[in-house]
Amino acid sequence: MTKEEVISKTNEVFEKSFEIAPERLKPEAHIFNDLGLDSLDIVDLVVGLQQKFAVTIRDDERVRNIRTLGDVYDFIYLLGQEGSVGGSPSK
Amino acid sequence: MKQYNSIIVGGGVSGMTLALLLAANGRKVLLLEKAPTIGGGLCRFYKKGIPFDTGFHFTGGFVGTTTLHDMLTVLGIRDSIRPIFLDRENSNQFLFEEEGRMLSVPAGREQCCARFESYFPAERAAVKRYFQMVDRVIEATPSFDLRKISISPDPLDEDHVTLQHVLDSLTQDKTLQAALSVYCMCYGTRPNEVSFANHARVSVGFYDAIARVEEGGDAFIRAFRSAFKQHSIEVRCNTTIKECLDIRDRKVGRLLLSSGEEVTADECIFTIHPHEILKILPRQHFSKAFWDRVASFGSSNGFFSVFGAIDSVELAADAAPSLMSVVPRADVNLLMDPEYVGPQALAIFQSQELVRDKAVRVLTAFEPSYFQQVAFWKDSRVGCRPEAYSVYKELHASSICDRIRQVLPEYKDSFKMYDAASMLTFRDYLSTPDGSAYGIRQKVGQFNLFGKLPLRNFYAAGQSAVLPGILGAMLSSFVVARSILDQQQYNTYVSKRLCN
Repeated sequence: MTKEEVISKTNEVFEKSFEIAPERLKPEAHIFNDLGLDSLDIVDLVVGLQQKFAVTIRDDERVRNIRTLGDVYDFIYLLGQEGSVGGSPSK
Repeated sequence: MKQYNSIIVGGGVSGMTLALLLAANGRKVLLLEKAPTIGGGLCRFYKKGIPFDTGFHFTGGFVGTTTLHDMLTVLGIRDSIRPIFLDRENSNQFLFEEEGRMLSVPAGREQCCARFESYFPAERAAVKRYFQMVDRVIEATPSFDLRKISISPDPLDEDHVTLQHVLDSLTQDKTLQAALSVYCMCYGTRPNEVSFANHARVSVGFYDAIARVEEGGDAFIRAFRSAFKQHSIEVRCNTTIKECLDIRDRKVGRLLLSSGEEVTADECIFTIHPHEILKILPRQHFSKAFWDRVASFGSSNGFFSVFGAIDSVELAADAAPSLMSVVPRADVNLLMDPEYVGPQALAIFQSQELVRDKAVRVLTAFEPSYFQQVAFWKDSRVGCRPEAYSVYKELHASSICDRIRQVLPEYKDSFKMYDAASMLTFRDYLSTPDGSAYGIRQKVGQFNLFGKLPLRNFYAAGQSAVLPGILGAMLSSFVVARSILDQQQYNTYVSKRLCN
């Protein structure tokens, strides 16, 4: 999966599942301070990303270190490189 | 306006546990219950003076991992809850009808392992490995020690694989696979959906020792009620939360109760079914992702139950309880499939009850059932059901009675049915959304509602949070209590109570 595809699909999760306007979705946007998510929303972000990319995301150090939207892109892209992303992504 | 520290929604065993734990640690508690009485699935009902259990028949946790024993000790109600163990030979049997095999499962993890090895000599290595894996999960699960519990313990590898996946890797013997997964029907999630870890955490209590409790769920309710008085816990039945008001910075300021009264609380904890929680939460304060996640949780199975007794003075003298699991096909996934229409599994539980000082042998049979089987009549209520429903219920109850007499021919003339209950009956009497017995189906990889909700002073606990059944429901309350109370206070309290 290309980086562009990762960005586009990740943005869809933020737009559809968290109702955030697309113009706010910039790589440098801090997911808590700028996008208004709360630490209590992380579970739902993980669930949304799991469904979108047909991947199992375990609660590990890398997830806990995510701060910006760009970090989310990098994390998912890395999972793809590791071969963890697959199956039939949800529409 | 009345002010509380903690408002707990749901008066089942999870809500009662939380109320007592928080009040015993100095918090002012209000417990709300939608039904006319507290107790939820612990409540019994009486016919001709005979008590019948509805949602609570037997449990593990009194020996072995002893989690239930420890929780009751901390709550100060252990002496009121007297277990009666199913520890005789043939107290716990699996009848595989297609194979014509009866397996007698003894009490004790090691004994179970040895017995399964003797029943399946060609599969000894698989049996050994299965029980080793169960042991490993239990040793690595911190929540079995009340002093070490936390909301997000690190998941084990076994939390990420299904029970079926593990069984397939161990053995191709379908009867053995079924024997090792029969207990799925005691917590409502199929082998191909539940994680091996959660299967192990629930089943281990049954392997160690199955027990019923003297006077069933009534013993729990009575003990909790008495403790509530000591700790000045307020209980309101026929009451729930109608509206959440003054929400600022993701905190709820006031709560409007269904009685019209307004109250405030530092925190509000929901122990009810997650779908019922959604009905109370203000939609605009939650993401669509949260809403979709909770709405997507599937229901566990419920039961079609027949309640009866054995009309025999000789048999009534037998005080030992017993359980027989009738398994018509060696495929638990199939038997727990809502679409499955073949011969159903059946659990037959027997116990002795005292009715006006006279011993009576009570027999309850329960067959796994799903709401769609009664969905056609979902708009009807107790006392005004349509004729077609009554016919369905009567025919179904009668077929279960026939099966009881078939598998227990010694009761051919002495078994008498007193009542029956479908999932609609359970829904309406126990106030569950769809009559399911174990809340939501707890599938591998699923994120349940547990701990803090996306409103800072709202929490979720209950049997849909960590593990199904009475143990899981109570355990979830200990974990949430720990996160609400100062951790040092919780640890000191629990340690002190366990030492006494």
